[in-house]
Amino acid sequence: MNPTLLILELSTAAALTSALGVLPLVGRRRLPTIWVGWGNALAAGMMLGAAYMLSALEASVPMVTEIRPELPEAIGAVLGICFIYWTHVAVGTAGVELNQAHAEDPLHGYRILMVNGLHSASEGMAMAVAMVIDLKFGVLVALALAVHNIPEATVLAAVLHGRGLSLRQIAGLAVATNVSQVLLAVAAYSVVIAAPATLPWVQGFAVGTLVQLVLIELLPESYREAGQTSIALVTVVALGVVVLLRGFVG
Amino acid sequence: MIGADLEPVVVVFLYGLITALATGLGALPFLFLKQISPAGIAYSNAIASGLMLGACFGLVSQGTRYGSTQTVAGGVMGVLFILATQRWLGRHELEFGQARGVGARRMLLMVIVMTVHSFSEGVAIGSSFAGGVTFASVITIAIAVHNIPEGLAISAVMQPRGSSVPTCAAWSVFSSLPQPLMAVPAYLFVDAFTPALPYGIGFAAGAMFYMVFVELLPEAYEQAPRPLVSFVTSMALIAMLLFQRFL
Repeated sequence: MNPTLLILELSTAAALTSALGVLPLVGRRRLPTIWVGWGNALAAGMMLGAAYMLSALEASVPMVTEIRPELPEAIGAVLGICFIYWTHVAVGTAGVELNQAHAEDPLHGYRILMVNGLHSASEGMAMAVAMVIDLKFGVLVALALAVHNIPEATVLAAVLHGRGLSLRQIAGLAVATNVSQVLLAVAAYSVVIAAPATLPWVQGFAVGTLVQLVLIELLPESYREAGQTSIALVTVVALGVVVLLRGFVG
Repeated sequence: MIGADLEPVVVVFLYGLITALATGLGALPFLFLKQISPAGIAYSNAIASGLMLGACFGLVSQGTRYGSTQTVAGGVMGVLFILATQRWLGRHELEFGQARGVGARRMLLMVIVMTVHSFSEGVAIGSSFAGGVTFASVITIAIAVHNIPEGLAISAVMQPRGSSVPTCAAWSVFSSLPQPLMAVPAYLFVDAFTPALPYGIGFAAGAMFYMVFVELLPEAYEQAPRPLVSFVTSMALIAMLLFQRFL
């Protein structure tokens, strides 16, 4: 199969899985706050696992330039961290509690959707890089991110349901915020294939954005919602599962 | 080469001791910081978290080369160990240096976690002699340099809670003492120790990951703005990854 088509299909499938995130809300008005926290922690652990997998791949990255790839990777990572940081500052979500179900500010819902769209775009880049490095590895990262999309969408669903949206609308919006994942996955893949020297830069950028997203969005919210012991346990278990899967794929 | 005319066991011990002493250098940046505010404690925690997460990424990457299942099994044991230690410490009224209560528990846990994680590094030093003294020298230098930010991580937790720089340096060196102590038996019984290495590495990584998520990050988020804490943690993590890559 054409690899570009494959990444389009995988990232689309990952985006569609986010619709499953509304299921915990079927038949109930509100989701227990502790579930929202665990959902965030689960997503955080899996994203950190994806960041670990991408960062640990120095040996299998093809040498495409005379420069050791560590430096462009590190610069890419710093750029990724700064990109997420400044975007939050610019959008106005840097110090805002993202998971408020009944926020008064009408802009809050739009901010949440924008943050989710941005979040997904970074994950699309991670999928693309993984696919360039190794097909099996790419499928694994896509799988991990697809699974992590579900609890993430559950958190989004809890927020939007509290603002009066129906589950069908929320499922549609959850998939829509992940369209950026598909676009960035295909675009980043095409760029890296066309210009292999960009690989370490994009790889570093993806690692930096994943780590920063976990630390600025997912973990701080989850500690407030579920307490530190259970959040630490859920995060570590999710991370361990990704490491284990990576071992099985080889 | 150090101690060419010494007994090999003494040489192995000395190599391990060098790496342990190097950990104390991590306290030196705190010579220039006298008073630390609550936000300063938060950023110190963020630096320690980033350095420890970066070190964990490196450990897991190394452990999974021997076996992913064994590494993850070791990780589970590491998490359970910290859970049990936390529970035990929670039942006692603690004093550690100038700190009491929660602060003392956090410092003590940090020293325990870092000390436990040094066991596998000691085994790595001892086992590396199987590849010749030159190879062992390279590994020793790598671990010694890698220990400096670990000492920084320990000092970043201890110094803002009232410990002096010499005390931070002393506890940093203490946390690495398992390195010379484990290097010798690992050198003598390399075949017996090698299969246990992924469990040990996984144990260390699990304990450190859990320590970051259960103690350091929550406190950092409480005491300083979330965006800055996340920024400092991410940067420290990337710095540690880069540092390990160049070793």
